[in-house]
Amino acid sequence: MGKGSAKIDNTIRTLRFHAGEMTQAVLAEKVGVTRQTIVAMEQGRYSPSLEVAFRVAQAFGVPLEQVFQYRGEGE
Amino acid sequence: MTYKELNAAVMIVSGAGIAAWVGWQAVTEPAPDLESVAWRLLYAIGLNIVINIVLMILATIVVSIAKREELKDERADERDRSISDKSLRNGYFAVSIGGLAVIIALAMGQGPIVAAYALFAVLMVGGLTDPVSRLVYYRVG
Repeated sequence: MGKGSAKIDNTIRTLRFHAGEMTQAVLAEKVGVTRQTIVAMEQGRYSPSLEVAFRVAQAFGVPLEQVFQYRGEGE
Repeated sequence: MTYKELNAAVMIVSGAGIAAWVGWQAVTEPAPDLESVAWRLLYAIGLNIVINIVLMILATIVVSIAKREELKDERADERDRSISDKSLRNGYFAVSIGGLAVIIALAMGQGPIVAAYALFAVLMVGGLTDPVSRLVYYRVG
């Protein structure tokens, strides 16, 4: 589980906008997590497991790296 | 506020309330012997469970009315399980440290009545550490 200072950025909010303003509830349903988990991911308070990350990417029909970006040391 | 956060908040309120009540009783009406203390603490634990259930029902109704939609518990996902695990670990840690402190207190000559109250306090602190941790992890991350 990630912490508040996670080094992983994501574009979930943008992808939801481009997906016809998909609601967090709909995305949560597609991914199989709670809406609160989607909220926490969007706000960078939670870094999901690899499996959930793949499911988020699948929900938008984009590659994983388009949803999550790793910010390395010093970046 | 989600159902899980509300549950944690209710546990904190009822646990803290019962702990304060036991503490107040211990000071104002000291029990004559260890058996009386043990019954008092058992009663407090039972009361804590009942108050927790009643408060949770009432809080769910109040929040549901305020939000104009039924507050339901969602199926736990990986984040919920992770938070639950970490909170339990924190509670276990608090109980371990507290248990050690009680043994040290006994070794230093404290009587069994003080030890019984201290044991109860340790259990309450451990029981409160879990929901406090859950609230922090849910809110702060």
